[in-house]
Amino acid sequence: MSKEVELDCLGEACPVPLIKAEKALEGMDVGDVLICQIDHSCAMKNVPEWAREQGHNVEVEEVDDGEWEVIIEKVK
Amino acid sequence: MKIFDKIKTDPYYKVWLKDAWPYVTGAILLSVFQIVSLASAGTPWGVSGTLADWGAWLYQLVGGSVDKWYYFASDAAQAKLAAGPLKDPGTFRNLGLIAGALFAALIASGFKFKKIKTWRQVAAAVLGGLLMGYGARIAFGCNIGALFSGIASMSLSGWVYAVFLFLGAIVGSKLLVKYFM
Repeated sequence: MSKEVELDCLGEACPVPLIKAEKALEGMDVGDVLICQIDHSCAMKNVPEWAREQGHNVEVEEVDDGEWEVIIEKVK
Repeated sequence: MKIFDKIKTDPYYKVWLKDAWPYVTGAILLSVFQIVSLASAGTPWGVSGTLADWGAWLYQLVGGSVDKWYYFASDAAQAKLAAGPLKDPGTFRNLGLIAGALFAALIASGFKFKKIKTWRQVAAAVLGGLLMGYGARIAFGCNIGALFSGIASMSLSGWVYAVFLFLGAIVGSKLLVKYFM
């Protein structure tokens, strides 16, 4: 059974969201989903970029003005 | 409103105003506009030097005097301060920077008042701001005036700045991971 982990990065500036996401994903299993909540526009660029580079499935959802959820499915 | 729903789904709105531009586009535009700025204002683009001038003007506003300060001792600096902020290109550049950033965030509907998460964040921001401001003044420039404009003016000091900026960033990231993770 795959699990879903929420990571609260609201109010955090670069590069904190990216490092937090890296650490969180490290401890997860293949098939698990990490949901990063972000409200820093430059993290909105580097978190999905990094995750796609690693080969994970990435989706970005705009939750509110200036607030996003980066949804990362760990594939390997 | 209907019109906003229409704009929201418009592909041109998404590419031009909503999504972040590629780094290369930003680099080219920065280069072009720093040339425009140099040609029109007569001095290379800088940001933090103007902040020091703002500080001096504010200090004068409450009755202070910076006449004897080493930093403002040159005739050029004194003339600039005497002319006032309305005659200062740097003042308008900085105001334009703030207004432009606000406009870009608003039009991408990305504007948000963020909560302060921890007091440690506040302390780090204040301490970081003070160190950056102090460093920029004793280096006679920040990453814009000393690095960007320095390298654009074929100045060796810009490259020296770049090397130590990189070293500082390594130390900074180590501290960040240690105290903020």
